[in-house]
Amino acid sequence: MKIPYFPGCTLYNKARGLDNSTRASLAALGVELAELPRWTCCGTVFPLARDNYMGMVAAARILAGVAGEGEDRLLTVCSFCYNVLKRVNYEMQHNLEARQKLNNYLEENYTGEIQVVHPLEICKEHVGFDAIRARAGRNLKGLKVACYYGCMLVRPALEMGFDDPENPTIMEELVAALGAEVVEYPHKTTCCGSYQVLHENDLVMQRVQDILNSAVAKGAEAIITSCPLCQFNLDWLQEKILEQDTGFRQIPVLYFTQLLGVALELPRESLGLEQHYVDPRPLLLGAMPHLR
Amino acid sequence: MAMELSNKMSRGIIERIKEISGQDPHLCMQCGTCSAGCTGREVMELLPRQVMRLIQLGDARVLHCRSIWVCSTCLLCTARCPRGIDLARLMEALRVINLRSGREVLVAEKIPVELLTRVPQMALTSGMRKLSA
Repeated sequence: MKIPYFPGCTLYNKARGLDNSTRASLAALGVELAELPRWTCCGTVFPLARDNYMGMVAAARILAGVAGEGEDRLLTVCSFCYNVLKRVNYEMQHNLEARQKLNNYLEENYTGEIQVVHPLEICKEHVGFDAIRARAGRNLKGLKVACYYGCMLVRPALEMGFDDPENPTIMEELVAALGAEVVEYPHKTTCCGSYQVLHENDLVMQRVQDILNSAVAKGAEAIITSCPLCQFNLDWLQEKILEQDTGFRQIPVLYFTQLLGVALELPRESLGLEQHYVDPRPLLLGAMPHLR
Repeated sequence: MAMELSNKMSRGIIERIKEISGQDPHLCMQCGTCSAGCTGREVMELLPRQVMRLIQLGDARVLHCRSIWVCSTCLLCTARCPRGIDLARLMEALRVINLRSGREVLVAEKIPVELLTRVPQMALTSGMRKLSA
């Protein structure tokens, strides 16, 4: 199976580990990602002002371009890219004014026919968790993992159509299929503070501390996410939290595709595990004998 | 006095907020569900419910509160509002009215260099889009 793939800006820079591990783990499951020959920034955030069509142009152009290639699906893994592409696509389907204005601007005739998909959906609906269970090694047995969705994957529910907005379980189902142990905790869809890290550092640190402490208190040894900004906030700020609270227990924050790659026993070059602030390798050494 | 707030100018602002957001703030019954779940509530001087109340009153001071810049548009309030109000769109309307008149809170020069070199690109693009004129 071959699917057009939109990596996005961050995956080409700060989140190379997410890009590499997504391509490698899906390839191991028989899904080949064909990167779009030309792509631009997706716009990052969906504009919430009703008169801001300019904020939708980038995503609309990407979607129309994929449709122009005769494709019917577009896969992206970054939560921000996924959110804005899916929401703009929804506008192209349901908001006739948006559709007309954007098509006029782009000189296209796109009506929202592309389906924007996420690797978690591919794992569940196309590969199947049973097939993944059969394919995964037994190296994650006993590892306690907390899944962190954040906000962009699941909200708003109508437009995203991604699992249950208050209590999504798709990542937990994947973790269970990989043979690891799922840790339930209350903060899996609360916001980490997002881009507020740029100007409200204290607020974001407080949010991150709440999320991490809650997962750790429930016994988590690792946290997984699909969003490069959640990963950054949850991971990098631990350094700062430790400066203020020496009793704080650090916890590795991985991309779910990295955990998937470990379970599929992929070569470590494809996983980017060395790029995190809290090094996950000591925890995973037992699972990855070839890391030693 | 509350009555003084409903002058011609503030009615103009409330119409603009309604137009840009596409939301009817008068549907709000002040239940506080938005404030209870809000990610940024601990550093907001006005909770989302109170922001809603000021909009209902047509009080232009709502444009100058810190809360609208603390909102990270995580949409938890929107998802849980029992009246179906998309609060995130109202917060956005308050921000864009500011941004369109040149008032902003995220100034690129003020981002610490240490952070600038490490933060994912998406944080910079989204932050500049949401908080910068």
